[in-house]
Amino acid sequence: MKPVLVVAINFVREQRWPILVMLLWVLLLAFLGLTTEAARQGEDLLFVFKQVAVYVVAFSVFFGSSAIFNDRRSRRILSVLSKAIGRKQYLTGLFLGITIASAIYCFALGLTGSWTLGDAGFPVRQVWFLMLCLLAACMLAGTVALMFSTFLNPFFAAGATAAAMGLPFLLSHTSGNAQWRLLIPVNALAATVLKSSFEAPATGSWLPIFLALGETLVFWFAATRIFSYMDIAVSVE
Amino acid sequence: MKLALEFDQVTKEYRSLFGRRFRALDGFTLQVYPTEIFGFLGPNGAGKTTAIHLAMGFMRPTRGSGRLLGQPFGDAMTRRRVGFLPENLALYPRPAEQLVRFYGAINGMKSSVLKQRAGEVLEMVGLDDHARRNVSRFSRGMLQRVGLAQALVNDPDLLILDEPTSALDPVARVGVRELLLKARAQGKTIFLSSHLLSEIELLCDRVAVLHRGRLVRLGRTAELLESYERTEIAARGTNLNGLKSAIASAQSSCNIGQDGLLRIAVPRDQQRATITRIWEAGGEVISVMPQRRSLEEIFLEVTSGADSTPAGGVQ
Repeated sequence: MKPVLVVAINFVREQRWPILVMLLWVLLLAFLGLTTEAARQGEDLLFVFKQVAVYVVAFSVFFGSSAIFNDRRSRRILSVLSKAIGRKQYLTGLFLGITIASAIYCFALGLTGSWTLGDAGFPVRQVWFLMLCLLAACMLAGTVALMFSTFLNPFFAAGATAAAMGLPFLLSHTSGNAQWRLLIPVNALAATVLKSSFEAPATGSWLPIFLALGETLVFWFAATRIFSYMDIAVSVE
Repeated sequence: MKLALEFDQVTKEYRSLFGRRFRALDGFTLQVYPTEIFGFLGPNGAGKTTAIHLAMGFMRPTRGSGRLLGQPFGDAMTRRRVGFLPENLALYPRPAEQLVRFYGAINGMKSSVLKQRAGEVLEMVGLDDHARRNVSRFSRGMLQRVGLAQALVNDPDLLILDEPTSALDPVARVGVRELLLKARAQGKTIFLSSHLLSEIELLCDRVAVLHRGRLVRLGRTAELLESYERTEIAARGTNLNGLKSAIASAQSSCNIGQDGLLRIAVPRDQQRATITRIWEAGGEVISVMPQRRSLEEIFLEVTSGADSTPAGGVQ
């Protein structure tokens, strides 16, 4: 377990600048909360909150699709995997790092949202439910991106992840069956956040969250299987 | 005896996007015994780094198998007893001591042990004064020494070093040489890939020469050097050309110098027979000079085959 934690913490440390930039958005929201009259401009605040919230899904895809590539391109992966750490553990460490980075953002956003939206009359419990939806979406999106990045470069891995996340939406749209959206429920979870309002604070159920967590495990397993067959010393460029 | 490192008929092929195959290693077999310093030589693209990467489990062989400290290649727990220094080392930018502790922690070492051990290994490589400096500001030679420190942090039984002294100045090189000799004295096995043949000659108990993915020479360093020793015999006679044709053979080289002497270079085991032939042909032996050949000369002779095009490989 220790090597996994070390890799995870190392990942967060290496990504500290993007994480700090993400947190700047949260600070922006806090600033808006300070300068607006929450009671009168609650809808505007919620709109900004939702916009700022869904960015983290894109960030998790960015983290997931570039994590392995960065280590392989710089050849730092060789000195890491020459130690007593298996490839499965290494990938788990990266997954955990992505989750920690996303969780930091979700937590900061949850705190800010509780403060600003709470004043405007939005139920604080629902703010945290939305953050949970967001974190589950990030974990799934990050793992799908990580899986694609085991054999694709970051650009294609991010594209493939976007396609995989968009597919359920497309299937649901063309077939008219909303159940398709639960296939890879990133879109469904993001929609829960985006559709929340003062009248209906959280319209989603817990099912997409549990499905996302289950599918995260499936994609993590697929990623470890694919990665175990890769020649990691071969140049990625 | 349990081998430290073993390759058994290992073949590694790379495939391009268009399906073209490239064989970096071809039926490579090698055994490295415990507590020896083993030199691994070969020109660029011979397949040395591929062999090392296979041993470390970074890639899988196309055919064949191998064992590292008795376990199949790629076993993570076995690597706890292995120290590895890659060629073209890349490290995370952070203070040297933190970095060494990071690598030790990945190896599962306890924090309490690591703090002391990181200091020890940095002192071993002469970087104790720079322990708190960020490695991103280090020179290449200093980075190489941090790389050695991270390889040594877990007190490994087997050290696999790919070009460990390539970026070091002569003083640091001597330091690393002493470090490796001390490690062998402590019962550790060292597998050393290097282009610095003088280092290999000084350090290694045995050497292997790899060329175009195949093992072309293997043996004890001293015996290999001895087997290539030649003797230069200077002779004179009334008919130098007749003398030259009488003693010329496939393994000797003869030439008539400006001083009027016939100089013949022969393998050491043919020295007596050649002198006898000179006498029988009516010549007179003027001098017999043993010529010791360096590992570099032997390496060049072994690897400059009929087709000298590099086979390519992962560098």
